[in-house]
Amino acid sequence: MTNSNKKWKIEGKEFDSRLMIGSALYPSPEIMKNSINASGSQIVTVALRRQSAGEQGGNPFWEIIKELGVTVLPNTAGCHTSKEAITTAMMAREVFQTDWIKLEVIGNQYNLQPDPFALVEATKVLIGEGFRVLPYMTDDLVLAQRLADIGCTTLMPWGSPIGSGRGLMNPYNLKVIRKQFPNLNLIVDAGIGKPSDAIEAMELGFDGVLLNSAVALAQEPVMMGEAFKYAVYAGRLSYEAGAMQKRDMASPSTPTVGTPFWHQFA
Amino acid sequence: MKIAIVGAGLVGRVVALNLLRDGDHTITIFDKDSKEGIKSAGFTAAGMLAPFAELETAESVIFDLGKRSMELWKPLLKEAGVYDGLQIKGTIITAHPQDMPELEHFITSLKNKVDEADEIKLLNAKELSTLEPELGHHTQSFYLKDEGQVDSQRFIAFSTNYLDSMPNVIWREHTSVNKLEAHKVYLDEVNDEIFDWVFDTRGLGAKEHFSDLRGVRGEVIWVESKEIDITRPTRLLHPRYKIYIVPRGNGCEGIDLDYCKDCKIAQTPNSKRYIIGASEIESEDMSPISVRSTLELMSALFTVHPNFGEARIVNSETNCRPAFSDNLPRIENEKGLTRINGLYRHGYLLAPAIVEKALNEGIRR
Repeated sequence: MTNSNKKWKIEGKEFDSRLMIGSALYPSPEIMKNSINASGSQIVTVALRRQSAGEQGGNPFWEIIKELGVTVLPNTAGCHTSKEAITTAMMAREVFQTDWIKLEVIGNQYNLQPDPFALVEATKVLIGEGFRVLPYMTDDLVLAQRLADIGCTTLMPWGSPIGSGRGLMNPYNLKVIRKQFPNLNLIVDAGIGKPSDAIEAMELGFDGVLLNSAVALAQEPVMMGEAFKYAVYAGRLSYEAGAMQKRDMASPSTPTVGTPFWHQFA
Repeated sequence: MKIAIVGAGLVGRVVALNLLRDGDHTITIFDKDSKEGIKSAGFTAAGMLAPFAELETAESVIFDLGKRSMELWKPLLKEAGVYDGLQIKGTIITAHPQDMPELEHFITSLKNKVDEADEIKLLNAKELSTLEPELGHHTQSFYLKDEGQVDSQRFIAFSTNYLDSMPNVIWREHTSVNKLEAHKVYLDEVNDEIFDWVFDTRGLGAKEHFSDLRGVRGEVIWVESKEIDITRPTRLLHPRYKIYIVPRGNGCEGIDLDYCKDCKIAQTPNSKRYIIGASEIESEDMSPISVRSTLELMSALFTVHPNFGEARIVNSETNCRPAFSDNLPRIENEKGLTRINGLYRHGYLLAPAIVEKALNEGIRR
């Protein structure tokens, strides 16, 4: 039997929290810092693409992230081709001194749906370059298979489109991926809107969730960060504890004790 | 008193205007750029006075200071000889029908922060048409009746003209200040100049003192059109491409100031000018606007009204807003020295009130 107090291991590192959180869209860096602390998250994603170092070198926002003392997971948000994503990943490795990369290659500009073809292409190259690639992907089983085949040990299928807050739109697909890859780390990345969505993902047996807007755009981001801390924990406990089966009480299978038989099955 | 103001951006100018009103001061303004001030964030800014709308992400203290600033702008502009520089006839907040959750999020955020937001009304298309006929196809919008704008480029040009004409103002342009402290301004490592009071209004230039000061890149585009007439600042809410459209009417047409000519953006005859902004990127990169930001701003603009398709892009500006990690402004006062910084994206909304507060807590005591 597993035990939820056990450390969680992903890409060679151990963590207490199974919540991964983004660093964009907060009202201020200060609120971001407090929200991340409240969430208990130990892995924070940072987008590089739109926060280029510029000519002066260095970037105060990146310094704030580094000061959080968490594991930084740079991402390639906003990249539309594998080439672009590869270049951004190389840059991220230098800036943050890490071989972790959340690989995001956007295929549709409007809903930011990942491009599965370019994703596989870029993953192949980056794994060859020594990166640990955490691919942001759609919830497609065959795509999951391809990514696992080329060496990914973590997969991050979406719950629904980025920033939509629609929760898990296709729990069945996620369940299939979980069943097919019992030994990979699986993270629901994107689409989480409420703590109950995170619980749902964790109860499916996912190893973690990654979210950003759900906390950053809440009316009280810090409080919502804390809500997700408990949700992810509760969801994991629930999964490990093994929930009871739902029962169908609509049509009684047996007579109810104490009720005359002519009043039953009316 | 013998005063030094270091940094002739928006805040430095507002300090100077206040001190001139206070009485018998001799003011020396130090600035690393030219008097025209076109490199300051105060020139790039669109000058919106939107205490309500800013609450979507800002804290309620910004609202309180903003309301106070709106009372102070009128006399301030009058003093600096700025005519047609202030418009307070409301702003419009709108969204496309499929983005209605954005309007919902917007109003919820406001109502959670200030009671006054309860009075904000949702306009239907017909009501909006009476205010802004060109926007009538937008089915739902909010009208924030107490908001407005300062014509920021006009303020910069006229305040240069006014301050430069005052006999008790010495303006040392192209003069970098190495360091400053109470009563002292250092132009290099060793040589200081002595003043009764020093004001540090350098914005990002004050990084040597404020270690947690950062720049947040913003890009704006100026367009001109003969085919569309929107009269109030308008914000389009969107999950990603939020923009504002700030109408500047005839722009600088008819202004005959030396300090205005330097921006060299001659108005297309009979057209209306609009400032479209603004990106918000965590970076101190001052290079020109990117293709991506241009596409985002312009495609969002086009969706507000197709007539913008034939507008002309006459200028773009990039600058970095000085901000602290809580995105709130900061005043530091000691005898002989006042520092004001971190007005972030709220420059015109905050400057008069924050300067008033800084002066009252400092030199005026």
